[in-house]
Amino acid sequence: MTPVPPVGPATVTATDLSLRFGGTRALDGVSLRLSRGVTGLLGPNGAGKTTLLRVLATAVPPDGGQFTALGHDPRTSSGRLGLRRTLGYLPQTPGFHQDFTAFDFVDYVAILKELSDRTARHSEVRRVLDAVDLSDVRGKRLKRLSGGMRQRVALAAALVGDPGFLVLDEPTVGLDPEQRMRFRELIAQAGEGRTVLLSTHQTEDVAMLCHRVVVLAGGRVRFEGTPAELTARAAGRVWSSAERAPHALAGWRTGVGTFRNIGDPPDGADLLDPTLEDGYLLALDGESAEVTA
Amino acid sequence: MRRLADTDTDTDTVTEAETGGAQVGLLRSLVPAVWRTVPWRAPAAAGALGLLIAGGTRLPDDAPGAGLGLLVLRVTALAGAVGLAFLLDDPARNTSAATPVGRAVRAGLRMAFMVPLAVLWWTAVVLLLPAATRPDLAPVTLQAAGTAVGALTLATAAVRFTDRAEVGRRTVVRLATVAVLMILVPSRWGLLATPDDPWWEATQVRWAVVLGVTLTMCAVWTPEPLERRRLIPTRGAG
Repeated sequence: MTPVPPVGPATVTATDLSLRFGGTRALDGVSLRLSRGVTGLLGPNGAGKTTLLRVLATAVPPDGGQFTALGHDPRTSSGRLGLRRTLGYLPQTPGFHQDFTAFDFVDYVAILKELSDRTARHSEVRRVLDAVDLSDVRGKRLKRLSGGMRQRVALAAALVGDPGFLVLDEPTVGLDPEQRMRFRELIAQAGEGRTVLLSTHQTEDVAMLCHRVVVLAGGRVRFEGTPAELTARAAGRVWSSAERAPHALAGWRTGVGTFRNIGDPPDGADLLDPTLEDGYLLALDGESAEVTA
Repeated sequence: MRRLADTDTDTDTVTEAETGGAQVGLLRSLVPAVWRTVPWRAPAAAGALGLLIAGGTRLPDDAPGAGLGLLVLRVTALAGAVGLAFLLDDPARNTSAATPVGRAVRAGLRMAFMVPLAVLWWTAVVLLLPAATRPDLAPVTLQAAGTAVGALTLATAAVRFTDRAEVGRRTVVRLATVAVLMILVPSRWGLLATPDDPWWEATQVRWAVVLGVTLTMCAVWTPEPLERRRLIPTRGAG
């Protein structure tokens, strides 16, 4: 799979978005620009990824700041309606009416997306179920489907109506490697001619799918650019050593027994070729306990 | 693919009839679709319980007095309100959070489905009471309406101020808390006077106020906000 190159100008522009939950600042002045193609959103747990996606999907309004998507400003009723008419949203933990069949559920979402003509709507539902490879089980109740299948039903619901802006929150979580590859293909296809924002923990997803990447941590944007630029940030800052380097930002024992370290290398260090993950960890710069442990 | 938005323009090629036709077509699809999503079990169980309670007054050989009838109707109304507390439960809430047919329309349809059913149910409950047991129906019907709308308002608030998909259980807890508080408040100042009390009339005024206020709050809180004032999180920000 080759990441789809950006096409045209910014389609989504967010400026200084902020959102606070109680004492927690989930978003703290987030500004970003998205264009057509798939943009990856990376960040540790609690970085604010889901919150940002919920804001951009109009599921929750921000405390401050503003954004426009495909020319719609959701601060007005008509703007929000206009945006929702061209939006597909796959939440992190999609909920379902478990007694519905896969077909009925996607049809229900299609109705909520104002597809009023029954024949055309059913044709569209069949198309998206076919796209996610669920045609064979479309008559099965959702409670009888596996978690991976339900995830694909949710993706079909997001895709129905051919939205111009797709917001996908960790769609590959909980999928086996084969399902993940299938999902990547689907997302890559979805990125052709659309604006797709893909939240993920997997740097491989970003490397394989995305023409742009945004790193979010502590509710702030830590990096925005291409995956190659993120990788390049780690050039000269990744080295191998026999012992754990005490001053490294992150370090871990590799399969061959040496340590891979990220940070400021000592003189004469055995430098390694950086990966996207190295660049990501450096962008976090000690923000996440998970990577520095 | 034809959607309502495609006809919602000012272009010369789209007539008002086409727009209206699309809206009718959408409504025709929307009504049965939303009907299927209503969590019927809780209201049905609560309704059945209410009918059983009311029907229980026919068991004694001698019909109980109107005082017991008032109590039975209040308990029955509370049972019905418990069922209504689950009306806005929507396990697919987050999956359908960003659709053009918003939460307000879906919640409004659910409430609209429930109104005639609730009226029928209340009529059945009243008819189940022996004639000698029936209190003056206008005041107790006002109280039942206030209790029902109060439950819906609590559920509406839970939907608006949290991101929970299923708010019914929490609403029942809050409804029960309110009911206990109502019992604890002296009847002179509260809402549970009896027809023999000199402040019975004043209590009806209070119930009318409760009904008006809860109806207003329900109407205000049902639409999705464009600006965020307060949201109680139910999971991390990640």
